Amino acid sequence: MKILAPALLVAVASSQIALSRTVDLTPWKGGGFGMFATLDHAGYRGVDIVVDAPDRSEALQVPASIELAVARAAACPADGMLRAVAEAVVARERRYQRPVSRVTLTFWRADFDRATLRPSERPVRTFVYDVP
Amino acid sequence: MRPIALRELAFSSQGGTSVHAPAAEVEAAGDPRPVPSPVRSPVQARDVAMCLTAIALLLRPMGPWFVRPAILAVAVLMILSPALLRSALAWGAIAVLVAVRIADDWPLADNHVYLLGYWAFAIALSLRARAPADTLASSSRWLIGLAFVFAVLWKTMLSPDFLDGRFFRVTLLTDPRFGDAAQLIGGLSPGQLAANRKALALLPPGAELLDPPSIAEPARLRLLASAATWGIVALEAAVALAMLLPAPAVGSSVRHAALLLFCGTTYLFAPVAGFGWLLLAMGVGQLDDRQSVLRRVYVAAFLVVIFYGEIPWAGLALDAWRG
Repeated sequence: MKILAPALLVAVASSQIALSRTVDLTPWKGGGFGMFATLDHAGYRGVDIVVDAPDRSEALQVPASIELAVARAAACPADGMLRAVAEAVVARERRYQRPVSRVTLTFWRADFDRATLRPSERPVRTFVYDVP
Repeated sequence: MRPIALRELAFSSQGGTSVHAPAAEVEAAGDPRPVPSPVRSPVQARDVAMCLTAIALLLRPMGPWFVRPAILAVAVLMILSPALLRSALAWGAIAVLVAVRIADDWPLADNHVYLLGYWAFAIALSLRARAPADTLASSSRWLIGLAFVFAVLWKTMLSPDFLDGRFFRVTLLTDPRFGDAAQLIGGLSPGQLAANRKALALLPPGAELLDPPSIAEPARLRLLASAATWGIVALEAAVALAMLLPAPAVGSSVRHAALLLFCGTTYLFAPVAGFGWLLLAMGVGQLDDRQSVLRRVYVAAFLVVIFYGEIPWAGLALDAWRG
């Protein structure tokens, strides 16, 4: 009885560390108690979206309708999360009757120089979704 | 005169059923009929811990539409009904609802929501245990201790930018929630703060400024960042050790002092009152029923954290400082 809840905490927090090391889950999220420990958080992470089609190649601003999916993917840029964003983008483009054959997502995060603090955006992962 | 002794009556019943006081016969003025006299029973610390947890649930409603009203409703009923407050089923339901809230938009839930779920689960289990108070106290110590162990682990070993000071140097300059403190304690002028924020704005990938602006960091600000960096690690490590070391090595008073010190200082700056309330409720869960002074200190600290969160103290102090 006494150890069940603490054991659950250890299991989740250990998994969070593993996920942060394998699929770049932000240390701030996921139950690992890494908040206020690093600048690697939502303010300095993001997902850029490029939509391609015949005669079209366009970078999209994140529309409000997919903000939640993008926030989840930025926090944990695993395949499943990025695919969900890509599918949401395709669905939205089709709603507006715009052609789309490929969605390219680039997950990036910011690094801060140790001395000057100057930030730089660093692409970490690119995910390409070809529309079936 | 009729005796009125209803104070703390909500917590005077045992096991969810009302236990009436011995029927001391007191003669009311002008009324010869015997009047049963309620007596004040000692407040059970775990009841206060559970009640504070329910209040915390109400203070920061959480989750999507299919979770939030249920959590709020159960929390209200717990506060109104001692029987429900001591219901393992009700706390189990809270734990499940919190788990659903976490799963709904995983991984976006904050860490204290996880801790809340474990705590609700621990309460539910303790209410089914042979020694509920001991079980709850033990669970509370382990949960707080382990949460702080992971927090210290992240800051000292897993994060590349905490111990070298970058986290607080950048956060004090860019996070609007720390802007007033950066000016008040760090000595930044409003102009410097605005210029620093502009200088720290992200550029598109590959872009580089020909003449990048430098960042103004007065000595006081660097000192504040260093103090925050090492102070928070020291405090969190102290809480972790105090909670996890066995009782002969660390007395109960040291554990509570460490936790209260952490909450009293951290939540003055950290904008996560919900975490503070939860830790304080869990701290009460470690008290025995005779530790009434500590229990009151915890309740006072719970209120102080409310004031920390609701009063823009740094902004007001800054305005007063500037006249």
